[in-house]
Amino acid sequence: MNFAFSEEEEAFRAEVVAFLEDWRDLDAFFGQGHHWPRVKQLFQAMGARGWLSLGWPESEGGLGKPLTWEYILWDEVGYARAARNPLASGIVAKTLVRYGSEDQKRRWLGPIRSGELHFSLGYSEPEAGSDLASARCRAERHGDVYRITGEKCWQSYAQDMDLLWLLARTGTQESRGAGLSLFVVPLDAPGVTVGPLPTLDGDQLNEIHLDGAEVPVDARVGPEDGAWKIMAEALADERHIQFPPKRVRRDLEDLVDWVRENGRGADPAVRSTLGDLAVQVEEAEVQGLIVLDALRKGRPGIVEAAANKVVHTVVCQNVARAALEIAGPAALADDCGLNTLWRQSIWETIGGGTSEIMRGVVAKQALGLSGRR
Amino acid sequence: MDFELDDAQRAIVEAVDVLLERHAGPARAIELGAKGEYDGALHGALRESGFLELACGEGTGPLEAALLVECAARAGALCSVAASALVAPLVLGRPGDGPLALVESGSTAPIRYAAHAHAALVLDGDRARLVPLPDGSATPVASTFGYPMGRFEVGALSEGDDLGAGSGDRLRDAWRLALAVELAGSMAGALETTLTYVKERRQFGRAIGSFQGVQHRLARCHIQVQGSRWLALEAAHGGGATEASAAGAAYAAEAAGRVFAETHQFSGAMGFTREHDLHVWSMRLQALRLELDGAAGHERALAEARWA
Repeated sequence: MNFAFSEEEEAFRAEVVAFLEDWRDLDAFFGQGHHWPRVKQLFQAMGARGWLSLGWPESEGGLGKPLTWEYILWDEVGYARAARNPLASGIVAKTLVRYGSEDQKRRWLGPIRSGELHFSLGYSEPEAGSDLASARCRAERHGDVYRITGEKCWQSYAQDMDLLWLLARTGTQESRGAGLSLFVVPLDAPGVTVGPLPTLDGDQLNEIHLDGAEVPVDARVGPEDGAWKIMAEALADERHIQFPPKRVRRDLEDLVDWVRENGRGADPAVRSTLGDLAVQVEEAEVQGLIVLDALRKGRPGIVEAAANKVVHTVVCQNVARAALEIAGPAALADDCGLNTLWRQSIWETIGGGTSEIMRGVVAKQALGLSGRR
Repeated sequence: MDFELDDAQRAIVEAVDVLLERHAGPARAIELGAKGEYDGALHGALRESGFLELACGEGTGPLEAALLVECAARAGALCSVAASALVAPLVLGRPGDGPLALVESGSTAPIRYAAHAHAALVLDGDRARLVPLPDGSATPVASTFGYPMGRFEVGALSEGDDLGAGSGDRLRDAWRLALAVELAGSMAGALETTLTYVKERRQFGRAIGSFQGVQHRLARCHIQVQGSRWLALEAAHGGGATEASAAGAAYAAEAAGRVFAETHQFSGAMGFTREHDLHVWSMRLQALRLELDGAAGHERALAEARWA
């Protein structure tokens, strides 16, 4: 057992930290929609260093680095509050590597690697959130095209993205997960409308209406009706980077800074709360490493990732709630940084799989509590 | 002892609900909230109908005023009914004239209704004072916490009528009583809208409210909302005595933390958007649970009153 990173990995971390010095003014981990042009520039600068394709195979233009490198990269970017990892270079690119045609890889992998091309995740629908297998958005084949009609909602960042990574039904409604396919749909295509859903953190999610939007048959990724297996595999591509533990460390540090600046550091009740939170942050960090360790050893890490998501997001909320309680009514002004932290944290236990779904995974797969026996 | 409303109280609640049906509700709260406005029309309707006088009326008192405040909070009302109809009568012996803000002396934090209030009741140690507020006394503050907020400059509230010895404690007690009642009403609103949602929202072929894990947690919320209501009304029945008011406010502030978290969790992505009604009540819970030092402050007040 060894809890340390290698010298080479630490050297890479130092390189990332030095790189991020030039992006200290970018505060887009929360509210990316307010900063997209700058975030895109950041991704392009990362792309120029090969950092958006760190873990891709060298045969596909990647650097072929172990997962640890991606973990370190997005952990530091999260700590710097610069951005969240983009969908394109993770789930999309790694799925294209596995399932894309040569033509699809040629078309999309290059601009994804350079940070030029960006995707929004088009899975959720008004009636299909936690239960994605009940998705209704329909893609009908007509000769060389699919005609797509339906509604997607709660898409992050779709207002700024180029393409939609769309889950659509190609089989019968009763076929559930076995009748779904994946498509790449331009967000500016005729018949595609993106509308804002303003959210409580001052940012927005989106709803996307597809009204007979047509895409060529070769916009489908993987086999028809084959999305479920592909999606499950793709989830594994992001398990080690989706919840960077240094983000919660930074949350706590921001709170400690506020406490110091406002002369509250000597209050024993405040110190006790901060100590408690520090322990919780340690837990979040070790849970993140457990996921990384599982994936590095070739295990799917499903239970580890579910536990990590619960711990990480609950710690986010605990830090944010403590921040509000320590700061008191001063934090009710929207221009108070602690306020943003708190409002954003509401979303963490909901987006990307609710805590209830995650705990269900742990109960069934780790504890063997499945079925009604 | 009787936990049912008597005929007169039931008639008051029914009449208040009819008025609120017409003048309040989540849609109106969202509309006014987007503009940072105060519901002057509702305030006027409550005054004209005499409801603001309940705390010092003939045959009615703080309990009836608390029932009014509870109904208003549950209806998402955006006016200072708690301060005007419950706090002012207990501190001044008469209802407040027009929109009224409650302020801790020297606070530069956002204050509910500050930018719209015609007067402020200011808590300053063991004294309270009533300070008239000309237009522009407070600066509006952008806030997502469900109330129009404003901020006073340091020293802006140093004048006004000193309300005499003991007025500080009277204001503190009445303020805590009002918080307990507003929290109870707002929690009920948040829970009701969530219950509607989990009964309608279907995933995995069934309503999400049919899952036992969801039921247990919402049942716990319901018990705490009811507990908050009874402690608040009991405190009002006793005229807002220190211990009872502090206990009601402390219990409700703790309960509101859970009710906020659970109602948002079970309202999912929908509840995180401004299109859904939940935030009308849920965000206010956070504002209310921070006033007067929150649960910790109320608990200290209770301990001091009982064992000092």
